[in-house]
Amino acid sequence: MSRRMKLMVAAGLGLAMVAGGTAYAFVVQDAAAELRASGAVGEQADGYMGVVGSASADVRAQVDQINIQRRARYTELASQRGATIEEVAAATACQLFATRVGPGQYYRLPDGVWRRRNGSEPVPRPGHCG
Amino acid sequence: MGRIGKVTAAAAALLPMGGCVEVTAPERPIEINLNINIRQEVVVRLQEDVRELIQQNPGVF
Repeated sequence: MSRRMKLMVAAGLGLAMVAGGTAYAFVVQDAAAELRASGAVGEQADGYMGVVGSASADVRAQVDQINIQRRARYTELASQRGATIEEVAAATACQLFATRVGPGQYYRLPDGVWRRRNGSEPVPRPGHCG
Repeated sequence: MGRIGKVTAAAAALLPMGGCVEVTAPERPIEINLNINIRQEVVVRLQEDVRELIQQNPGVF
């Protein structure tokens, strides 16, 4: 194989890897947003996602998966900042309520009731947000 | 055995039963508890950190 051929093969492989990586990132990137947009899932004041009604086993599995990842991130940050996991999770909920619950999407305050965001009206912040 | 002795013996016999607590494994791995005990000043202090956390973990948040 000539040097030029080798270079071309290497470049092709590199391109395939970048494209694959981008596609993978795209799928993973939208998981939480897609679940919220579906209306089957909402954000809770405790910093975790919750199933709004009776969702399919597949949706529940996806929510569990995301919550496991969230808990891992919360645990990490809590140990770095001398806070409890619950405090980091609750602080995250404040930001999620303010920036990630879109119009028509669901949120759940500490009263346990699922509510739907009405148009572009602001989502009420949980009491612990200050 | 006197009366006090009988009462004491009965109480001693009942004690182990009272101490028996049934423990079952939870069905779900993560319990979502909305009645959380948190310090508000800590939550406020963490806002910048969690903003970064959300931005750095798309798909999870």
